[in-house]
Amino acid sequence: MNNNTAFEARPRELRGTPAARPDMRRQVLKAAGSYGIFIVAALVVVISSIAVSGFATGQNVIAILNQASAIGIVAVGMTFVVISANYIDLSVVAQVAISAVCVMAVGTSTNVFIGFLAGLGACLLYGLVNGIAIGILRANAVVVTLGTNGVGLGLLSWLTKGTIFYGKPDGFTAAFGRSVVWVVPAAALVLLVIAAIGSFLLSRTVFGFSLRSLGSNREASRLVGVKVGGVVTGAFLVSSVCSALAGLVLASFSNTAVSTMSSGYDFSALAAVIVGGNSLFGGKGSVPRTLIGVILIAVVENILVLIGLPFAWQQLVTGSIIVAAVAIDAASRKAGL
Amino acid sequence: MTSTKTSPGRAGTGWRTFLRRRTEGRAVVLLLIVAVIVLISQPAVFESYGVTLSLVALDGLVALGLTLVILQGELDLSVGSVLAASGAVMALNDNLALGIVLALLVGIAVGLLNAFLVVVVGVNSFIATLGTLFAVRGLAFVFTNGAPVSIKDLEAGIAFGQPVLGPLTPRVLIFIAAFAVLQVFLTRARAGREFYAVGGNRQAAADAGLPVKRRLVAGFVLCGFVAAGAGVINTLELTSANPTAGSTVLLAGIAAAVIGGVVLNGGRGSLIGTLIGALALGILQVALDFAGVAPEFKDILVGAVLFLAVTTDPGSLKIVRNRVRAAFAGARERREALNEPA
Repeated sequence: MNNNTAFEARPRELRGTPAARPDMRRQVLKAAGSYGIFIVAALVVVISSIAVSGFATGQNVIAILNQASAIGIVAVGMTFVVISANYIDLSVVAQVAISAVCVMAVGTSTNVFIGFLAGLGACLLYGLVNGIAIGILRANAVVVTLGTNGVGLGLLSWLTKGTIFYGKPDGFTAAFGRSVVWVVPAAALVLLVIAAIGSFLLSRTVFGFSLRSLGSNREASRLVGVKVGGVVTGAFLVSSVCSALAGLVLASFSNTAVSTMSSGYDFSALAAVIVGGNSLFGGKGSVPRTLIGVILIAVVENILVLIGLPFAWQQLVTGSIIVAAVAIDAASRKAGL
Repeated sequence: MTSTKTSPGRAGTGWRTFLRRRTEGRAVVLLLIVAVIVLISQPAVFESYGVTLSLVALDGLVALGLTLVILQGELDLSVGSVLAASGAVMALNDNLALGIVLALLVGIAVGLLNAFLVVVVGVNSFIATLGTLFAVRGLAFVFTNGAPVSIKDLEAGIAFGQPVLGPLTPRVLIFIAAFAVLQVFLTRARAGREFYAVGGNRQAAADAGLPVKRRLVAGFVLCGFVAAGAGVINTLELTSANPTAGSTVLLAGIAAAVIGGVVLNGGRGSLIGTLIGALALGILQVALDFAGVAPEFKDILVGAVLFLAVTTDPGSLKIVRNRVRAAFAGARERREALNEPA
């Protein structure tokens, strides 16, 4: 009797023949794609410790971790936006700057906590506006966030006229910016906490699951009952909260705030997200990957500075890295991996 | 529904259908509103229309190139950086003519790079041009060593800024010429018309045998070329090349195109719409300038206009309208169900 319910993985004729072997190659490539970035990161760190002078010092590690923390917090939020196939949140530049300025401007006269709440409120408003425009009105995420970013930065520079805000020399932000546990600055601890929360949100909650399914296939998710508008708004709200926190951290580094201090953050955060292995097309990825990307980008930028590369060339290198990372991502997508 | 006394073969050829299909409606409305407001409050804007047209010319030129790319369903974010880099290349050259040629070649080269990344490698155009944006901006800084570079032929630069035809400067004339050429290309040349097909339904276009890849390359190269032209104009008029130039043209260019009815997914829109959108934006900005408003406010305005334009396009509004209708219909049904005799 024919067992029709059995599933034959491969027709009998093809087993053991060359046609069956491509599977192995695909497996290797797939593994390389998934775990390769960890190996690359480890290699870069090891080689730089030996080859680049001044890399493996405690001072430098603190500098790297500080640099990584501010961008990393933004990148954790950006992960949510990228995974939902909304490409990028370009307005983080404005949000981080607004938060930093609020903390410094409002916080010095009253209380840091109130200053942070003000910044957080502004960023949440941002997230709401972005989310509604992109999630409910289905507008193009890149253009919408480009517009809101312009509005935010313009408003900020109009209101502050470029003034530098100083924090209290003995206040919370100053202490926060200075505190280091062994070689780990306080900012890095904040990053770890945010990353842990973000990872939990993304991988173990219904919200995170809906986000990932939206990224994979928006129509299918909508038909299954995922509230597209709400979930996308949630993603941008997460990005906003992260930007607000990053603004606080950034302001603490120098205990000052200027409206221009967050320039390039949109790109660096996206670079970290992509290099870490999250797919730009959405659906695939996780927060730990973003962390690896953040560390790698921070290390590479640090090395470029240590070997004395002019600033202009650094932008060139970082730009090329991100393009290369996305090219690999696109190529692997094409190959159906 | 209007019934036209036409045979089935001639249905859809009347002027009503033509108007209904046009995408520039929103742009015309905005232009009229802006024109009326500005006419009342700051009529000087129209009296010195040379200034207005000058502003429109630069942003509009970049917007024209952007339109070509957006019509195919792609984006080119690197236009501002190309403007700066090409200006730098021109300024660094002693020979003005050679400098201009090299600058335009830079634009073509970047366009080819973008096209390569998008068409050959398969990278999403947004991320590819975002990468090029930073890479080319870095190049501009490398070329100029971080500081503005003056052009060697100062008289040519100053002469370029003088009105040539009435109050119209060469910048405006170049813009008009570029618009004319590109408009003819887009509407009458077969290659140009195929841009719409590539944007509307790329798979169908490919299946129909259109050289999709070639059209995409053409779009990016034209956009880069036009942006380089804008860089040349900008550097000539300012008589120096600043590596930070062109930071606002991206926003203004996309805003002009979106206002003009160009759909970001591609396939619908027109250069005329972009022109109208650029005009409306330019008049608004110049009016604000004349009214003495702070320059940062212009960025806020362009950003806000872009945001409004992109969220109120017919597609989004339809979604919202359907949602609202569904909500009310659902409420009505529930009420009727409750009032039904058990």
